[in-house]
Amino acid sequence: MMNLLTQPVGLSHYLAVSAVLFVCGFLCMATKRNILGVLMGIELVLNGANLNFVAFGSRLLRGGTSDGLGLDGQAIALFVIILAAAEAAGALAIALNFYHTHATVDVDRAEELKG
Amino acid sequence: MNFSDLLHSAMHDLLAPGASLSAFRPELTLCATILVILLAKMALPRWTTSAFWLTLLGIAAALWFAYPWSWASDAIPPAHSIFTGVLVSDSFSVFLRLLLLLFAILFTTFTQVSGVASQDDMTEFYVLMLGALVGMCLMISANHILMVAMGVELASVPCYVLAGTQRQQPRSSEASLKYAVFGAGAAGIMLYGLSLLVGVLGTAHLPTMSTRLAMLIQSGGGLDRGLVLVLGGLMLMVGVGFKLSAFPFHFWAPDVFEGATAEVAAFLSIASKAAALGLLVRLALGFSFHPDPAMLAVLAPVRHYIVVLVGMLAVVTCTFGNLAAYGQNNMKRLLAYSTIAHAGYMMMPVAAAVALVGVDMGEARAAVASLCVYLAIYLFMNLAAFAIVAFLRNELGSEDLREYAGMVRRSPGLTVCMAVVMFSLLGLPPLSGFVAKWFIFLSLISAKLWIVLAIGALNTLLSLFYYLRVVKVMTLSAEPLHRPAPTIPLVSMAGSYCMVLTVPVVLLFFFAGGLLNWARAAASTLLY
Repeated sequence: MMNLLTQPVGLSHYLAVSAVLFVCGFLCMATKRNILGVLMGIELVLNGANLNFVAFGSRLLRGGTSDGLGLDGQAIALFVIILAAAEAAGALAIALNFYHTHATVDVDRAEELKG
Repeated sequence: MNFSDLLHSAMHDLLAPGASLSAFRPELTLCATILVILLAKMALPRWTTSAFWLTLLGIAAALWFAYPWSWASDAIPPAHSIFTGVLVSDSFSVFLRLLLLLFAILFTTFTQVSGVASQDDMTEFYVLMLGALVGMCLMISANHILMVAMGVELASVPCYVLAGTQRQQPRSSEASLKYAVFGAGAAGIMLYGLSLLVGVLGTAHLPTMSTRLAMLIQSGGGLDRGLVLVLGGLMLMVGVGFKLSAFPFHFWAPDVFEGATAEVAAFLSIASKAAALGLLVRLALGFSFHPDPAMLAVLAPVRHYIVVLVGMLAVVTCTFGNLAAYGQNNMKRLLAYSTIAHAGYMMMPVAAAVALVGVDMGEARAAVASLCVYLAIYLFMNLAAFAIVAFLRNELGSEDLREYAGMVRRSPGLTVCMAVVMFSLLGLPPLSGFVAKWFIFLSLISAKLWIVLAIGALNTLLSLFYYLRVVKVMTLSAEPLHRPAPTIPLVSMAGSYCMVLTVPVVLLFFFAGGLLNWARAAASTLLY
């Protein structure tokens, strides 16, 4: 087991940061009651995935070997940024509409439909 | 290679006859239709039904481009990847795209007959539907992780908004909120899983991924990489399972179906599900197959993992859906659980196909063909069920099953349609639902998945009671005293629309051979 703190910055460090982002985002999604908080959690998860894509695509971090993901990683990351923006726009509009009908943005108040 | 050569080869790849752009014409037509609808709304504000007619025209044009006219004269062309390997164009994607577009035509007519798209927000309704349709077309022909992510998101985001089209109703806004939050969360987890898979395998192109996977297993790999791959596969299954409403990720379906209108529920339960199954087939076969026999043998543990994962999810989803449907009185909720159960049935042949990949390729293709048959029949059955629910809602203002009591006296034709559809969903002969289940169980037998087969057969028995209960309430129960039962004659618009959908449910039993030939053709270019 190598110690991340004593190594020069490499792929593992990026993966560790993205894993932390993912876990933070996931906890945020699972525990927040405010819709906006949940949406922020989703953004964190998406950014964690994005960091992975870019880090895996980097030739420098792989030590110059050419069998890596290459530019595909960055292309996917760009698309994910756009998708995240579209999703946030849709979800915010839906949240606003929920506020108009329920006068709250608390997800626990969405309890009319069950069974 | 210098720049002009590169440009030349890219242009050739794009524009040559039979190359990328010509295979992509249906999707391009749908995109163009979206623009035309939006422009027509601005340019001709007085033409209030422009969106409906333009949508119908656009989908019909897309259907014309999607129809494989050349198949009749010569043999089915082999699969070829388009846009430098990002998408794949083969008979499977052609078949599913035809099915989706056919559904879109029926669905557009349905919204007009039932009047759900009120005049002022009609444009948005159709634009969102077409956007989701483009995403679904990308899902079924995805050959690259980028397209998997793009397709899933493009198909999901418009659906979140569609679920909330009745803005003033609290239930509708709650449904769309739940769908959006859960859906976006599942998509996020799926993307993270995809990033792990892509990173460990070092490529995002599905066929290359299976090569790298085989090489990794051959070289011993190492436990840590294997663990990351298993984790990535599970996270990927969260996203696909959400789209499929498979068991642990099914909880959104009943709530969303109940809150959204019956029309949108029909769209989610048929088109969205068909696309998700297409994607599942692409991913499952993509990771478990390699053209080289030596590599194919090496991939055996991957196939085992996929069979166990998909088979288990299928069995649990099916059983859960059927059990939960019992106590439901809201028709849309009942149909939501029925949809979940059917998603379970439809995942079974995918597990069978993967189990057969290493053993007998012909049988594996037959398993995929049985899925195609099921999807085609399911389209008519489920759309008819939701259509009847929507028309009765227009009459009654309610979707409660108990309100349907004694309907057989006032609208016998519609009751017969509903009974036919319910018996077909159950899978009784001589209705097409029986054919669909029969082929799926045959594929399970040839894959020797006995446990899945036994539980599937048991589930058919389980589902008997709640489907029959609907028929019982409509025919045997007495009419409620406070108001007469709804009257929808068969010669009205609504009645004849139900007829148009119910007749194929019966006829496809007698002409199952023709459908099976189409399905076999659809699966014939897979796994080469």
